[in-house]
Amino acid sequence: MTPCTVTTGFFVLGRCGRPSVADCPRCRRRVCAEHADPQSGTCPECAAAQGYGSDDPHDPTWIVRYRRRHYEQAHASYQGGWTTYDDYDRGAFNPGDDWSYGSGDFGAGDDGGFVDS
Amino acid sequence: MERFHPLHRALIDQRGFTVSLRRDDWEPVIRSLAGHGLEVKRRKWAPPPRTATVLVPLVRVLTADMRPEGVLSVAADLRGPTAPGKATPEQQLPVRHPVKSLKQWFVIDPWLRMRAELRDGSVLEFQVTDRIRHRKLRKTNPRGKIKFKRKSKTVQLVRVIRHLPKGAAHRRPDTPPPAWFSVRVKTGSRMVIRATGKFQGPVADPELTKAILQMTTEPFRWTPPGTITPRRKP
Ligand SMILES: [Zn+2]
Ligand SMILES: [Zn+2]
Repeated sequence: MTPCTVTTGFFVLGRCGRPSVADCPRCRRRVCAEHADPQSGTCPECAAAQGYGSDDPHDPTWIVRYRRRHYEQAHASYQGGWTTYDDYDRGAFNPGDDWSYGSGDFGAGDDGGFVDS
Repeated sequence: MERFHPLHRALIDQRGFTVSLRRDDWEPVIRSLAGHGLEVKRRKWAPPPRTATVLVPLVRVLTADMRPEGVLSVAADLRGPTAPGKATPEQQLPVRHPVKSLKQWFVIDPWLRMRAELRDGSVLEFQVTDRIRHRKLRKTNPRGKIKFKRKSKTVQLVRVIRHLPKGAAHRRPDTPPPAWFSVRVKTGSRMVIRATGKFQGPVADPELTKAILQMTTEPFRWTPPGTITPRRKP
């Protein structure tokens, strides 16, 4: 199984880790059924980059765009003393599978499916 | 309105709530709030404005960093600074001509407390307090007439505290944080990093939310991604 590599979290960044079902047609990263856009099949990052997603925090897709803007701002205000989100997202900071979690939506007992949403 | 989530109703009726819920129990609250405008048009019954501009965004951010069994506690008192019990007693301050009297009092409004158990084993807290200084002044103008004047000044205090898991590795960041807030750390078996900001306000709510989250970056710089191994359940 190839795990989904979509970035999850806000401050505690991680990888989704659910079983992937397809490649994102734009960036080629592996995506799971939940992270693939139902119409275009793109990952949430690419959807946000194309202007999709919401500016309304009640909408679950809000966080991807807000997080991107947050990291851009933090990188600027911390004068380079903080990672850019892209560093992480593209894997330069990838801490490896340790950073994906054993419980998540598959239930606490399933350590193989390291997940979070 | 009967179909609203109980916490949604509490925001309408009591203008706040104090509650601890597991991560996934917050989504129904947000979903209920999202449907509000479709069901109810009357402004009087709308949740307080800070629900959408501060509370919901912060709940979204915190729950994104939690595991399903993690608990997020929220104490939100969005009644505003005029709610009873928030004002300190009036004080008479010394005056000089042409001022005849000067009264001062404060309103202390700790309107938001949040505490989240994050998936890396650390605990993150937000505390937001508005402090408003009121002054009422009586003076004579050059023509001998008595004039009254009122002045108020708002300061918003934000505190972000991160408690690291026991024995977690950490290191001081290479660069200092931005100068607009201060940082203190407490070392020990459980390290605590605390960022404190004071804003001459009131700051617009979306800007305040942004500021809280920018301050929150600092305690995470002490443990760059990948340096804490998350606790696994036994
Ligand atoms: Zn993509
Ligand atoms: Zn995924």
